[in-house]
Amino acid sequence: MRYIRLHKIFIAQYLKKLMEYKADFLLGAIGLLLTQVFQLAFLGIIFSQIPALIGWSFQEILFIYGFSLIAKTLDHLFTDNLWMVGYRIIRKGEFDKYLTRPINTLYHVIAENFCVDALGEMLTCILLLAYSIPSLDMPFHWYTIPLWIVVAVFATLIYTSLKIMTAAISFWTKASGHITHMLYMTNDFSKYPVSIYNKFVQTVITYVIPFAFTAYFPASYFLTGNNPWFCIGGTVIAGTVLFALALFIWHKGLSAYESAGS
Amino acid sequence: MENMIIAENLRKEFKKVIKEPGVKGAVKALFKPKKEIVTAVDDISFTVPKGEILGFIGPNGAGKSTVIKMLTGILMPTAGFCRINGKIPQEDRKNYVREIGVVFGQRTQLWWDLALRETYAVLKEIYQVPDEQYKKRMAFLNEVLELDSFITSPVRTLSLGQRMRADIAASLLHSPKVLFLDEPTIGLDVVVKENIRSAIKKINEEEGTTVILTTHDLADIELLCERIVMIDKGRKVFDGAISDLKHNFGDVRTLEFELVNGPDFKLLDYNRRFKLTQDDIHAERDGSMARVRFDTAKVSVENVVSYTLSTVHVKDLNIKDVEIEEIIKKLYRREVSL
Repeated sequence: MRYIRLHKIFIAQYLKKLMEYKADFLLGAIGLLLTQVFQLAFLGIIFSQIPALIGWSFQEILFIYGFSLIAKTLDHLFTDNLWMVGYRIIRKGEFDKYLTRPINTLYHVIAENFCVDALGEMLTCILLLAYSIPSLDMPFHWYTIPLWIVVAVFATLIYTSLKIMTAAISFWTKASGHITHMLYMTNDFSKYPVSIYNKFVQTVITYVIPFAFTAYFPASYFLTGNNPWFCIGGTVIAGTVLFALALFIWHKGLSAYESAGS
Repeated sequence: MENMIIAENLRKEFKKVIKEPGVKGAVKALFKPKKEIVTAVDDISFTVPKGEILGFIGPNGAGKSTVIKMLTGILMPTAGFCRINGKIPQEDRKNYVREIGVVFGQRTQLWWDLALRETYAVLKEIYQVPDEQYKKRMAFLNEVLELDSFITSPVRTLSLGQRMRADIAASLLHSPKVLFLDEPTIGLDVVVKENIRSAIKKINEEEGTTVILTTHDLADIELLCERIVMIDKGRKVFDGAISDLKHNFGDVRTLEFELVNGPDFKLLDYNRRFKLTQDDIHAERDGSMARVRFDTAKVSVENVVSYTLSTVHVKDLNIKDVEIEEIIKKLYRREVSL
């Protein structure tokens, strides 16, 4: 409860900061909107050339693509500051501050920033889903909506946990932003059906960096109703295991933290 | 008296990769890293009783900040332990930091982009300070640190002096029992320094806050602390009252004679008269002023005064107290040892 209250305050502070730099915010918002427009146009061009992909129709692929943005957007919106841990906060010794405050360090780092940039992605996500869903004949049950919520939470945890782990590496190496970046970029694979990739890539994005569980697997379940245990259960398990591992690494990292000279 | 801070055999080692100069060296270090263990803090023990202001001094790179960071729970000691306010920082961090305040003079913990008072509003929530107490506390801090004139300005626009006062206020908002100040007066002008010193003094007196203070400004030490711990190259070289320090290092005094006739200075030859080296007695001329520094263990004040008065005409005489700065300079240069 206390953390929820704190989070509201942190977000309020963030919005005040946005207002402090109005021009920056306005230009940023316009830039993001343009990025999303171009991205959508680009998608349209590609998919107008490809009517179907290994048994998936154009509409289904749009759905998977849109679905993949749910977790990505949520993670982006709430935990963007983790990038800074690997790029700057630890290397410059700025992490000292978090260690002298009576709240969880990981929570504090994450809560301090709130990334409205993600709202552009959210817009794309909503447009894609709203456009594709009506033309698809998806099974619908009373538990479909609760399952969406469960998937959204655990798929976001997959993203966030991978970021936490790679950020925590910098407790030992001082900087790890590029590692986070490298790993994060593999999420692009998850926007399309995994069956289009070779065996190696499939294995990697299913079992090693399980981004396939943030998009393709759960999305395919919602499309077809097949394989619920693997597609949904896999997301829950991947999210839980990765998050536990991430907390463990973060915790280990705290005792290896060396600060910086002053 | 009850000990607020206990540090026992604290030791901190860092692994350092040795690189040869240039790009070639950097590449070599990447594939074949040569590692070296650097001991930043080596077996340091001390205690601080409740309500004391302890000066923690030493030259740059002596390990002061590393000790402070271990005491505040930021760094994990390689060996040894510390117990502060009955808690071990590394074991019970969240509960421990609730009752301490920390200021790193070189860094700020304020929210850079927001008006200063927003920082206090956030800290109030982080430390769960009740509304009533928060109001009282802000009024008190306002009075002591004079924050009123800039509390609505964004932190990025504050001057260094304002920022430091704001940072100290931030560390005191939750009424900590122990306050760690790492170079709280660095880079500040005399007036701000004065303001900060009196604030520290006031908080210590009114609330019994235990304070550890590192500084390079020896005036801070002389005005605030009764006791100092001095470290050098990671080891403790002195721990005791400032009066003991003066006593231990010989009573170096300075006498100033204002001469009726400045050039008479050349008539004074203390070294020959007392058969002492330049280290034990040393005179210099500054206009009509003759300044004589000497060790009272080697020659008495009386002898110096009577020799001077019998040799030249003196208009005025001034005896200066032992300067701690002199002693510390000598210690830093390793001219004296314990």
